[in-house]
Amino acid sequence: MRALRHPALQWLLGIALGAVFVYASLDKIEQPREFARIVYHYRLIGPSAALGFVPANTLAVTLPWVEALTGLLLIAGLWRREAALAAALLLVTFLVAVGWALAHGIDVENCGCFSVTGEGRAAGLKLVLQDLGLLALALVLVLVPPRAREVAPAGAPAAA
Amino acid sequence: MSLRVWRVGVIVAAGCVLGFAWNAFGGRGIALSGNAYIKPGEDVVEIDAPEAKKRLDHGALFLDARPVAFYAMGHIPGALPLPEDDFDRAFARLEPRLRNTLDIVVYCSGYGCEASHIVARKLREKAIPAAILHEGWPAWTDAGYPTRGGDQP
Repeated sequence: MRALRHPALQWLLGIALGAVFVYASLDKIEQPREFARIVYHYRLIGPSAALGFVPANTLAVTLPWVEALTGLLLIAGLWRREAALAAALLLVTFLVAVGWALAHGIDVENCGCFSVTGEGRAAGLKLVLQDLGLLALALVLVLVPPRAREVAPAGAPAAA
Repeated sequence: MSLRVWRVGVIVAAGCVLGFAWNAFGGRGIALSGNAYIKPGEDVVEIDAPEAKKRLDHGALFLDARPVAFYAMGHIPGALPLPEDDFDRAFARLEPRLRNTLDIVVYCSGYGCEASHIVARKLREKAIPAAILHEGWPAWTDAGYPTRGGDQP
């Protein structure tokens, strides 16, 4: 536990996690239409004529930028714990989406994780494990404050 | 250094603002209030399942844009197959009929399916207007409307 609190380790973890998030956002920012199509495929939130906007499109437009901002903050080490919490919440969202698709037998050929065109990776068990790994990384940053600073109060909110 | 949860809200909100701004000014924006498959400036009529049912009862011609295998598994009664992946051949066969029909509705597999939009676009290029059934086949079956199996319309 002591090692986890080492500032250098936290710095490294932040950069690693941040890099993954920034990298994951680029293709989606570049091609929102393709990403929207992938969001449809999950059938978790689809197009809706009833609302004044389409949830899937809105998510496709905003989510990549939340990812990018989260990643940049993690890399810069600004608001690191909060950015890590945002990353954890995003990862939980992804896990719910993939779990939903798997549970409903929806064949998501391209998970829309990193690449939104071409082959991409399928949303499967392997993806769940990778997301869980990243989630563990994020939770270390959320729950273990770096040494040499005042310790966070107990009862820090557990991320999801 | 305590965890300030409000900062998470700021991150999410700022990300959303950036996203909307990029969508508005980045040059690659998509419509927030429509189907992402509709190209900017495209004049598309999308109808929902009850409206489609009404049109079917009034004699509208339905076109199934899905691959023919799906058509055979089940389709809207009276619908003709005009699969997007075999458009030219199917269109050549159907053209006389389509030219004589005023009310045409195209549908495909719903969520994440672009085929109906592609078919409607191709028809429009040939000066044949066609409406699109929003959410396609699943919207139709979810509403409990009749379907028909087999190769015949």
